Amino acid sequence: WRRWLRSASAAAFWEACCIVLVLTLSPLLFWCLTALIAIMLKSKTFVKKTRSGGVMKIVREHYLRDDIWCGSEACTECKQESTVLQKDACIESNLCSYPHYLIPDTNVVLHQIDVLEDPMIRNVIILQTVLQEVRHRSAPVYKRLKDIIHEKEKHFYTFTNEHRRETFIEREPGESANDRNDRAIRVAAKWYSQHLKMFESDTDGLKVVLLTNDQGNKQKAEESDLLVYKCEEYIKSLIANPELVDRLALSSDDKNEITSSKVLFPEHLPLSRIQAGIKSGSFLQGTFRASRDNYLEATVFVQGEGEDSTEVLIQGLQNLNRAVHQDVVAVQLLPRNQWVAPSSVVLQDEGTAKDDDVEEEEEEKLVAATLMSSMSLKPTGKVVGIIKRNWRPFCGMLNVSQIKESTRHLFTPADRRIPRIRIETRQASTLAGQRIMVAIDGWPKHSRYPNGHFVRSLGGAGEKNTEEEVLLLEHDVPHQAFSQAVLSFLPKMPWAITPEDMVRREDLRHLTVCSVDPPGCTDIDDALHCRELENGNLEVGVHIADVSHFIRPGNALDKEAANRGTTVYLCGKRIDMVPELLSSNLCSLRSNVERLAFSCIWEMNHEAEILKTRFTKSVINSKASLTYAEAQMRIDDTTKNDDTTKSLRGLNKLAKILKRRRIEKGALTLSSLEVRFHMDSETHDPIDLQTKELMETNSMVEEFMLLANISVAQKIYDEFSECALLRKHPAPPPSNYDILLKAAKSKDVVIHTDSAKALADSLDVAKVDGFPYFNTLLRILATRCMMQAVYFCSGMDSDFHHYGLASPIYTHFTSPIRRYADIIVHRLLAVAIGADSTYPDLMDKHKQSALCNNLNYRHKMAQYAQRASVAFHTQLFFKSRGILNEEGFVLFVRKNAIIVLIPKFGLEGTVFFDGKDKTAPNLVYDEEGPTLTIEQHTFHIFDKVKVTISLDDSNIQHQKIRMALIDPVISGVSVPAPDVGPQAKKPKLDQ
Amino acid sequence: MATVQVSEAEKVYILHGIRDDLRVDGRGCEDYRHMEIETDVVSNTDGSAKITLGHTAVLVGIKAEIGKPRPMVPDEGYLEFFVDCSANATPEFEGRGGEELGTELSNTLYKVFNNKRSVDLKSLCISEGEHCWVLYVDVLLLQCDGNLYDAISIAIKAALFNTKIPRVQISADDEGGKEIELSDDPYDCMRLNVENVPCIVTLCKVGHRHVVDATLQEKACSVASLIISVTHKGTVTCTRKVGGGSLDPESIFEMTEAGKRVGKALHTPLMKLLQEEESRGA
Repeated sequence: WRRWLRSASAAAFWEACCIVLVLTLSPLLFWCLTALIAIMLKSKTFVKKTRSGGVMKIVREHYLRDDIWCGSEACTECKQESTVLQKDACIESNLCSYPHYLIPDTNVVLHQIDVLEDPMIRNVIILQTVLQEVRHRSAPVYKRLKDIIHEKEKHFYTFTNEHRRETFIEREPGESANDRNDRAIRVAAKWYSQHLKMFESDTDGLKVVLLTNDQGNKQKAEESDLLVYKCEEYIKSLIANPELVDRLALSSDDKNEITSSKVLFPEHLPLSRIQAGIKSGSFLQGTFRASRDNYLEATVFVQGEGEDSTEVLIQGLQNLNRAVHQDVVAVQLLPRNQWVAPSSVVLQDEGTAKDDDVEEEEEEKLVAATLMSSMSLKPTGKVVGIIKRNWRPFCGMLNVSQIKESTRHLFTPADRRIPRIRIETRQASTLAGQRIMVAIDGWPKHSRYPNGHFVRSLGGAGEKNTEEEVLLLEHDVPHQAFSQAVLSFLPKMPWAITPEDMVRREDLRHLTVCSVDPPGCTDIDDALHCRELENGNLEVGVHIADVSHFIRPGNALDKEAANRGTTVYLCGKRIDMVPELLSSNLCSLRSNVERLAFSCIWEMNHEAEILKTRFTKSVINSKASLTYAEAQMRIDDTTKNDDTTKSLRGLNKLAKILKRRRIEKGALTLSSLEVRFHMDSETHDPIDLQTKELMETNSMVEEFMLLANISVAQKIYDEFSECALLRKHPAPPPSNYDILLKAAKSKDVVIHTDSAKALADSLDVAKVDGFPYFNTLLRILATRCMMQAVYFCSGMDSDFHHYGLASPIYTHFTSPIRRYADIIVHRLLAVAIGADSTYPDLMDKHKQSALCNNLNYRHKMAQYAQRASVAFHTQLFFKSRGILNEEGFVLFVRKNAIIVLIPKFGLEGTVFFDGKDKTAPNLVYDEEGPTLTIEQHTFHIFDKVKVTISLDDSNIQHQKIRMALIDPVISGVSVPAPDVGPQAKKPKLDQ
Repeated sequence: MATVQVSEAEKVYILHGIRDDLRVDGRGCEDYRHMEIETDVVSNTDGSAKITLGHTAVLVGIKAEIGKPRPMVPDEGYLEFFVDCSANATPEFEGRGGEELGTELSNTLYKVFNNKRSVDLKSLCISEGEHCWVLYVDVLLLQCDGNLYDAISIAIKAALFNTKIPRVQISADDEGGKEIELSDDPYDCMRLNVENVPCIVTLCKVGHRHVVDATLQEKACSVASLIISVTHKGTVTCTRKVGGGSLDPESIFEMTEAGKRVGKALHTPLMKLLQEEESRGA
């Protein structure tokens, strides 16, 4: 039964009906006809190949109208309600001295979007033809274009030329789709110029200017008397704004003059060949991941069927073939006898712009050398084609060319995995020393480096604001201010609890609830209470901010939060997931205000056994917001006996039992050093550095949060076995523990890693006399062996176990202000207890799974950003300190270096033994130990050493903490202990 | 099929009229009623035509889809027929009422059209043994006023003439795998050669004579009719007798001769008309 039949018989029926109608209602017919004049129906037909290999003819109705207005202020003809294009569209230009509107063609938009984004460029007509083509060809550019169009000051007008009767054209026989679109653009431009001519008398010669880089198109436009310029031509003619020229992307004919004709890279295969190759299995498709340490090496991650995925190693410039980090590429495997092992050499592209053509033979040799040394060969391949480029604007700095007049410079991205980019700029001298953003335009096969153009400057390198911006951009952390659309979904202030809010909510305002958080915390998402019931049992409540009450599914606020995924905490700065009004006010469970909460209430006996669990939406009124230290003091102060203190004591008692029981079950207590900066209140520079201290109250709060999370996880999984959002922590593969086992063995301690319980127990007993810090070090090492915990949707996975917490099921419920996963869990729980309604996406396991992927990605990036921020502040700290001498422990032993941990600062650094300037000492590396013998001295893991710490700012983009050995003294390797400058300040740090 | 009740007196009147080559509506025995043809009427088909013959109205749509050739003839495409007797045409078709007629019609159409002498089936082959075009011919009866076979066959011929099949190319890669590639240009399409496509002429034996294009009343007076498919050269490709009565060899011969004559005369104006419409459309 084919579809057309049904519509045809219906049509026949309607035809018959219409005739009857016409006969009986002939006065009405007149009406219908006049309405029809304005709208004309056309059908657009095209043929499409279906996935199963069939061919489908698709017919779309296409309406042509007369009521599509031109959008110009000058126009008196069109009956538009509001106009976008200004009457006096003036921009100073050599070429066009009259006011004019610009009409860019598709390629101009695609390649010169950076120019169009410039605030100078205004009064632009974006044709629908162009918009559609852009959307089809590049989603990111389309999004940027849409953003520009929405910006009122830019005066960008979208003209739906495909639906205006005069500007619609049909494709002619023999005309390609591109030619047809070019013609449509010309026809629309022509229409505009004629349309505007009508009002010439009062607009002092308003014209339209077509911008195109296509020679053929330009010629045809000239033939039909249109004003047409090449984009470069036009931009260069703008007298007042020479800097705009820098933002021009290089077009293909410009590139030719830059580079020599020598072909450096093999040609990329066309997409059709690649697809055929992937289908037949001769090529593999995967994500290109450049190596951080060696610019001549990369891996391609090939996602296989289900779980199994492989990595293909790529070595050498030729084989890398212009692929850039994160591109989706097609690779061809080399024959087995050409397979190599990944080199463990650190190699950085230091070549200058001048010696492009000189083959860097030395480096090639290095690669060859590593080839022989190792036996563990990996599948090796070469890139034959690029399936999808994943270029984004990159942060970095300019290497100013040595030739003064030169406008071509190399740009070094901050991310080492990105190759250097050649850009053209006239402002090199001002840009030197600044962090800038550059976009790649292309990478021709005869050029050693990709070509790009300058996008914008972020500010001076090394400045705090600039570096923070770089850090956020490089870690893909969305950090723009919340848009107006997002803010419009915030509750109106002043906000108060209404009677409607109280329906299905329990009034818990009378309870003695308090919150315990780190000092300075403004986004309080949890509060606790504990009281004795009449039957002698204890009632314990965990109250979590009811964020899902304020963030309704599907609106702009929700989408923004889902995209951000998490709040990112940097040193001295917080990038909120939800607007501040919610995070620090309405959702924050501050003391002595009424707040909406989602409560998890248990009835427990005095042995902390749960007798009853119940969940409810509630209203609470916190009696106190305490810091960990304050709470601890109240508990310890025996003279205090108020309700809050009693409640805290009860909680503390139960928490201890809970913790003991959890550890008995095999939960791991791991350790990682976290540092806290004391910031100067005025300059926000770090003035002091402290490792975070843990108090009993920390673990008290943590214990109840874990309990709430587990209870909620069980509840939502029972209710929605297919779409519960849970968190799991897979058990690490046994090989991960190698380093821990070796390290422990060196001190004659045996660690069992068969289960989490065995590991926890053996960590507890691992002690070495006279080395109190040993246990902590072991725990730090154990932490490094662990896998990443991830969110997942219960319908898509079968393994729920949380290894670290030794819990069969777990989720995140307790921090909805700063984690989006918790909001979803809140919604699920609310549906489960009948307090809220559901929506389709919540119950769709594939959508949830996609959401989980984003959340996992955002969490990982947030963590990296956080670490990078700590590293940056550590550098700032040491910059002000000068050189310091400190004691540390060897954490890892590498082939040519040892990694040292300074417990006092929680700082880790590498001491290299084969520096560039010195002659390398005699190094013997033993993999079994692992130990490293330098001259006479042998380094083991956990050895105590003394080092000097200083800031190495020779490379301003990658400032590093440099460590050098003082003790033990090895001639030619260690350095004499320098005089420590600001000794006076030091005692403050020592505890 | 739709039937009408005719009284004895009426029957005699019709019979006598035909004997004198004078039919109730004023036609001669070998004349067709007023015929209107329109092509390209359903935009989401690859070819379509609508015909009205007297009050009989038929809509034909042709969809081309890629399929696998029949194993016996790996280098040919084929046609499939489906006749939908819509209840629009007559209330008798409601429910499953039209099913029997539909099957009967589509079987006959299959015999008449699906052979390489009528349609160039070889041109429908894309790659031997693997891919070919299958033309799904869907016939929709909108109104029944007698002589369905003729109307349907003319509509099919017109629709086949109108059919535009997108041009495809077979690209073979290194491994011998074949990929069908579609032309990007919507105007780049293949047309069918309809020169040899036959038309059906139905001759109704009424009394001692026979008429073409019988109305329902005439049909009611007839004992049997002969269906003949005739090409433009006058070649008979298929004959079939329908109806309860019997035909003597002599009248079969006579009827065949008349059918050839009528059929031959039908083709020339039809083709002229179709070409004229085509040129006007472009």
